[in-house]
Amino acid sequence: MGEKITFAVAAIGTLGFGTGVVFFRDAFRAAVSLIGALLSVALLFIALLAPFAAAVQVIVYAGAIVVMFLFVIAYLGGHREITTFDRLDRWQVIGWLGVMGLGALGAVAVLDSTAGPGWAAPAATGTGSPAAIGDAFLSGHLLAFEVTSLVLLVAAVGAVILAKGAVQREGGR
Amino acid sequence: MSVPIGAYLLLSLALLVLGLIGVMRRRNPLMLLLSVELMLNAGNIALIGFSRQWDDTSGQVFALVVMVVAAAEVVIGLGLVVAIFRSRTDLDVDDLSSMRG
Repeated sequence: MGEKITFAVAAIGTLGFGTGVVFFRDAFRAAVSLIGALLSVALLFIALLAPFAAAVQVIVYAGAIVVMFLFVIAYLGGHREITTFDRLDRWQVIGWLGVMGLGALGAVAVLDSTAGPGWAAPAATGTGSPAAIGDAFLSGHLLAFEVTSLVLLVAAVGAVILAKGAVQREGGR
Repeated sequence: MSVPIGAYLLLSLALLVLGLIGVMRRRNPLMLLLSVELMLNAGNIALIGFSRQWDDTSGQVFALVVMVVAAAEVVIGLGLVVAIFRSRTDLDVDDLSSMRG
């Protein structure tokens, strides 16, 4: 019963705030709406007995990534309409058909699979604890762990190089 | 588990399609990145749902790796947005009229 209530609240929050992210015209409102969607997803993680993933979701996503979005929106001015040219142009119809087709395909796949047997979850054995996740990272997924650190390093260095180029083009050092 | 895994998967699918719609209709590169974040989260819901279903930690490890990739993607994406659009701001003192008095 408790999980049903949690799921209902989190599902409504996720889809409601997600709709806000997609349809708000104001960039600032869309970013704040994303915070709500991410917190709702963290609630779903808790309902799925993954408390560590939920904590990381709140700290890294809602805490760090959205704040970075808000900084950039404030820096560039949220009201100024920043647009690129429409890269799809007349292929747009095919794109929308692809979106609808993918949605229909996913719905059919999910509804078909839930009809089958064996979809009752087993009793929880503490797979979501930080200890279990640390163990999985350092024993079974060590390569992913190391590649992760490399990805973050490359991203940080790339961001610095991008920012440096932009500053130099404006005549600064 | 009182809520079947299919409910989580359907929610994940709905969020993914919502993000896809956002990617299709947004022109602003910042908003495109926001919609991509929604799609990554939809993937994470499915991964952690499967992790719960099979009582295995691997799904949560995958979800954490996805979060790291999302962080790196946002850093590079926002860096590009700033690098492209900062040089286009019009620096005109006549526009600075918010302190009139």
